[in-house]
Amino acid sequence: MSSKIPVTVLTGFLGSGKTTLLNRILTEQHGKRIAVIENEFGEIGIDQALVIDADEEVFEMNNGCICCTVRGDLIRILGGLMKRRDKFDHVLVETTGLADPSPVAQTFFVDDEIASSFALDGIVTMVDAKHVSLHIEDSNECKEQIAFADVLVLNKADLASPAELDALEARVRSMNAMARMRRAVHAEIPIGDVLDVGGFDLDRALETKPTFLEPELPFEWAATFDLVEGSYTLVLEDGPDESMDVLFAPLVSGERVTARPVQDRAVRAWSAAKAWAAPSGSIPFDQVVTLDVRPPGTKRYALRVPKNGKVALYTEHLASEYGLRFEGPRGAIAPSWEKAFAPGHSHDDRVTSVGIRLERPLDRKKLDAWLSVLLREKGADIFRMKGILDIAGQNERFVFQGVHMLFDGRADKPWGDAERSSAIVFIGKNLDRAALTEGFERCQA
Amino acid sequence: MPGVSAVAPGKTELGCAWRFDADDYVVDLAMSPDGALVAAALGGGEVVCFATATGEVRWRAAAHAGSALAVAFSRDGILASSGQDGRARLFDARGEAIAELPGTGGWVDHVAWAPHGRLLATSSGRVLRLWTARGEPRLETEAHPSTVGGLAWRSDGREIATCSYGGVHLWTVETGARARHLAWKGSLVSIAWSPDDAVIACGSQDASVHFWRLSTGNDSEMRGYPFKPKALAWDGKATMLATAGDATVTVWAFEGKGPEGKPPKQLEGHLALCTALAFAPRSGQLASGADDMGILVWEPRRGTKPVRFAFLRDAITKLVWHPDGKRLVAADASGHVAMLTS
Repeated sequence: MSSKIPVTVLTGFLGSGKTTLLNRILTEQHGKRIAVIENEFGEIGIDQALVIDADEEVFEMNNGCICCTVRGDLIRILGGLMKRRDKFDHVLVETTGLADPSPVAQTFFVDDEIASSFALDGIVTMVDAKHVSLHIEDSNECKEQIAFADVLVLNKADLASPAELDALEARVRSMNAMARMRRAVHAEIPIGDVLDVGGFDLDRALETKPTFLEPELPFEWAATFDLVEGSYTLVLEDGPDESMDVLFAPLVSGERVTARPVQDRAVRAWSAAKAWAAPSGSIPFDQVVTLDVRPPGTKRYALRVPKNGKVALYTEHLASEYGLRFEGPRGAIAPSWEKAFAPGHSHDDRVTSVGIRLERPLDRKKLDAWLSVLLREKGADIFRMKGILDIAGQNERFVFQGVHMLFDGRADKPWGDAERSSAIVFIGKNLDRAALTEGFERCQA
Repeated sequence: MPGVSAVAPGKTELGCAWRFDADDYVVDLAMSPDGALVAAALGGGEVVCFATATGEVRWRAAAHAGSALAVAFSRDGILASSGQDGRARLFDARGEAIAELPGTGGWVDHVAWAPHGRLLATSSGRVLRLWTARGEPRLETEAHPSTVGGLAWRSDGREIATCSYGGVHLWTVETGARARHLAWKGSLVSIAWSPDDAVIACGSQDASVHFWRLSTGNDSEMRGYPFKPKALAWDGKATMLATAGDATVTVWAFEGKGPEGKPPKQLEGHLALCTALAFAPRSGQLASGADDMGILVWEPRRGTKPVRFAFLRDAITKLVWHPDGKRLVAADASGHVAMLTS
C-alpha cells in the first residue's frame, strides 16, 4: 500500500514548452517506465512510453462548488492503468494550456480509489519567460498555474534579458514562494528537478527560500556597495508610486545585508522617524528617507558617505521598477551584491504566498477546528497549502498539504534530534497575513 | 482455513470446485447463458475461457494490446471483449475470431449484449455504437457530454441506457434517436436497469445513488455513502437494489411504495471497500466481493449477517453466478479465479 505511483502534472500556456519538456523526459535514459496522459495532441511518438489521449472532463462534485471539481477522465484512465500487466513507475499528466490546475490536483484527494494507488508528486508549470508578462496580470488561469506549481520552469530564458528575467522571477516568487524555480532554454532542465519532487517536500522549500517564512519586510530590494568616503548620487527614473522609501546604512565588515541581525536593524530603522527628500535634495546616512519621485524624468539625490567601507541600500520597491542607478565621482557603480524580496503588502486580489513559523508546539484539536473553519470560509481563495507541524505529544512530524477545501495530513518521520517547530504556507488570493498568523498562533498548545 | 471453529455459527465456508491462477489482474468475468463457459478478461489483454464444470481452459486468446476491459456472452454464446487497444472483438464458443470492431480511437470501455442476443452495444469515449451479432455496424449515437460510464439494456432490447456526466440518456435502438434524458448534475459511474424495466439506478461520483422511475421520470437521490457507490446489483424480481460505496453493502427495498424515506438494510461484514455485487438468479441470495479478499453470501430478506464466506488471495474484482443459482465464479486482482459452490 505504501508504493503509490507518483503522478506529475505538467501545466503551462500554449507555447510555453510543455511538449518540449515532455519529449525530453520521455527520451532521456532514466530507466523509468512512464505513462503519459495527454490532453492536447502534441508530436509525441515515443516507443518506451504509453501515451493515452484524453479529453479533459472536468466534473463538479457538489452542485457547482468550484472547490469540488475533479477530472473524470483521469479517474477512469488511472483506474484502467492499475489493472495492466505492464506496470508504470510514473505517470505524467499534461493539461491544456488554459486549464485551471485545481480539478487535476483535487482528483488525488477526492477519489478514494485513485488516492489509494496514486500520489500527486508535483505540479510543474512551464512559463514562457519572454511572453508571460502579456497575460500574467489579467489571466486567472496563468496566475493559478503559477500559484499551484511545485516546480516553476522559466523557459525560453534566452529570449529575455537578465533584467527581465530577474523582474519576472521576483514577480512569480511573490505569487508562489514555495515552488522550486528553474531557468531553462528549450526546456533543458535536469529530470530530477521535475520528477519525484515529493508533494510534502516543504523542507526543501524552506532550505532554498527561507525568507518567505519571515515577517513582512518593508523593503523589496537590498544591495551592498563597496565605497570610499565621498559624495555619491542616487538616480531614479519614473516609477509606479509617487514616493519611495530608501535606507543607506553602514555594514560592519563581513556582515551580509540579508543576515538576520542586519535585516532586523533595517526593519527597526523603518519604524523610526523618516526624513524627506525632494529631487536634487540630499539623503541622510543611516536613516530611512522618503524620496519624492513625483516630478517626471530623471531625479537625482545626493548622498555623503562618511567613511570607507561597505554600505547597504534598502529600497521600498524593486530597483528595476525605478531604473535605479548609483553613481560616484567616476560614474555608475554596480552593487557588489543584491537581492530582491517578495513584496510583503498583499491587499488586493493578487496571488501571494503567506508563510508562518511557530516555535511552540500546536494543539491538534485547536488546529483541526481552525483549519476546518478557515477552509470552509476561505477555501475558494486558498489555492494550495502545505505544512510541517509540531503537534504537542507527538514524536513524529505531522505533514499535510491541501488544495482549496480539501486536505490530507499524516504523521511523517520522527523529529529525532531536529529542532521542533511548525511551518505552514498558504498560496492564494486575498490572503490576510495578519489574520492567518493570528489564527495559527491561537493553535499553540 | 476450511475448519469452521473460528467463524461465527451459521456462517460456513463455500466449497471450491476448482481454482485457476491466471497470474494477471482479472478485469472482468462473464458466464455464458447456458452456464457452460466462463470467460475472464485480463490486465495483459488476454481473454481466457474456462469450462464451468471442470475449470479446464477451453481457449485463451491475446485479444487486446494493453488491458482487456470487458467481456460479455450473448444469449447464443458469442463472446464479445473490448480493450485499451480501442477495439472490440467477437469470438465463438471455440475461441475462433468472428469479427473485429473498431472504436473511435480511445479505449473501448464497455460491451453489452441486448437480451435477445441480436445486437451488441459498445462504448468508446463519448460514443455508443451498436453492432449485429456478426459484427456489422448498425448505428452510432451522437456524442455524449462526457465519456460513457456504463450501459444497460431494457429487457426487450428496444432501448439502451447510458450514463455519463450530466445524467442518463435513453436511446431508441430502431432509430438511434435520443429518446429521453434523465438529468443529474454530477458524474454517474455505474448503471443498472431493473429487470422489470421500471427503474434505472446509477452510482454517482459525488457519493450518492440515484434512481429514476421511468413511469414518472422522478429522480430519487440516496445520500450518505462515504465514497462513490460504484457496485450496483438488482435481484431478479426487481425488489432489491444492492449498492456499495465502502465496506458496507446497502440494500434498498423496492417493494410497496419503494425505498424513499425508509432506512435501507445495512450488511456489515467486509473489512474493506466492496467492489463486486451479484444476486443469484431466483433465490434472492446476494454475493459480495471486497478489497479484503473476501466473498460473502447474504440473504438480505432474512437477515443482515452473512451466511457463507470464501477467500481468494487478493482484492476481489468480479463475481458472476451460474444460472443454477447454486455456484458462483469469483476472481481477484492477482489472477485467481475460483468456482465456489454451496
